[in-house]
Amino acid sequence: MIWTLLKRLLKRELKVSDEKKQDSPILIWLTVVAFLASMVAIFIYVPTEQTEGAVQRIMYFHIPAAWLAFFSFFIVFLSSILFLWKKEREWDIYALASAEIGVIFCSLVLITGPIWARPIWGVWWMWDARLTSTLILWLIYVSYLMLRAQADAGSMRARLAAVLGIVGFLDIPFIHFSVLWWNSVHPQPKMISEEGLGKGMDPSMVATLMISLGAFTLLYFVFMGQRIQVEKMRDEVEQLKKDHLYSR
Amino acid sequence: MNEYFNQVAAIVWKDFITELKTRELFSSMFIFALLVIIIFVFSVNLSIVGAREIGPGVLWVAFLFAGTIGLNRSFMLEKENGCLQGLLLAPLDRTALYFGKLVSNFVFLLIMEAFMLPLFMIFFNIDLIQHLLPLLYVILVGTLGFCAIGTLLSSLSVNLKTRDIMLPILLYPLMVPIVIGSVQMTGQVLSGEPLSDMMNWVSLTLCFDVIYIAVSIMTIDFVLEE
Repeated sequence: MIWTLLKRLLKRELKVSDEKKQDSPILIWLTVVAFLASMVAIFIYVPTEQTEGAVQRIMYFHIPAAWLAFFSFFIVFLSSILFLWKKEREWDIYALASAEIGVIFCSLVLITGPIWARPIWGVWWMWDARLTSTLILWLIYVSYLMLRAQADAGSMRARLAAVLGIVGFLDIPFIHFSVLWWNSVHPQPKMISEEGLGKGMDPSMVATLMISLGAFTLLYFVFMGQRIQVEKMRDEVEQLKKDHLYSR
Repeated sequence: MNEYFNQVAAIVWKDFITELKTRELFSSMFIFALLVIIIFVFSVNLSIVGAREIGPGVLWVAFLFAGTIGLNRSFMLEKENGCLQGLLLAPLDRTALYFGKLVSNFVFLLIMEAFMLPLFMIFFNIDLIQHLLPLLYVILVGTLGFCAIGTLLSSLSVNLKTRDIMLPILLYPLMVPIVIGSVQMTGQVLSGEPLSDMMNWVSLTLCFDVIYIAVSIMTIDFVLEE
């Protein structure tokens, strides 16, 4: 009896994995090419910055990572709203996948930031507005992931997470302005950032940054695809366990 | 509309009766706030740092830490004997349940703050009475914002495994704007300057209150769904 059960399970499993094979590798290859191009651009093509030296090249990772973190959190927000509206597991998976990617890239921002800041500002950390709000953003989404880990799987977890996904994203403008005004009395360090995108930067630098931004954005979609697939597989395994192991 | 207010009032009344019977919440909140202030006095040398500079921050940290205890208990108490189930089965609007809890949390916190302020005045040698009206406004707005988002998150975290730990973890990053705003405005008030000089903070905290009450009304149905 166990044998037949196993066989049935294997059959289901095989059929399932056949279905999953349709995921095309084009996106992955595109991302690989984009990253190779951005590596060439960052380390060979783009000239070294005059005042800051070689360390300034970290900008081509720092800004795309920051962009990706914000983008992922926005997707979490959208998916959370759509989940509460449509009540489909699909949107819950999207929110989860995007939140995890966002936290990873937000961590990268918080790691590359101090590495860049140390030789330029002379300190690892400054309670500058943008740094502080990134740190708080990171905390919000780490707590979001903790909430997911704490709740039992099911519609309850999805609903609670969706509410936090909405509440957390709506907090971003408040955090931005409050931190900005809080620290506006102190002299602001001169940063090469969004203001410098158009003017003040060499066209070759802008081009490199754009390539890097594109490569990171592609990477986001690769990660999303993979993470969504993993989560769906997990659901299926749960379902198979329920169907074939516990009943009877 | 009248019925709705009755529902809210019933929840608030229930919370007050419970508190009058047990007297657990208020005493623990008050003592905890006092302890926070005392620990701050030990950790900061008041002869070097001016009381006026550190005072507003200490006051708000004490309020909010003690407030977290209140928020934690607010829904945990309901969970203990399956009271939440009863409340959800009762023929009342979910938003009424939210407002009832919001009002009782808000009032408990205000009572605690009313007892804390004189002690703060004595310990930090700051004369609050001459700035009492603007200070009351700041405290009302700040506490309301804290309770608005805190009540929602309290109802949310009660469903988690380690609810009492998760509430502060979820709540503190989200309430950063209200903390900064309240501390800034309190500092302004205590230094004797008019609040109209910092309209940006006044409007930011007000917006925070309004938006988070609105968001809670919209999402509470999803949180309190069995």
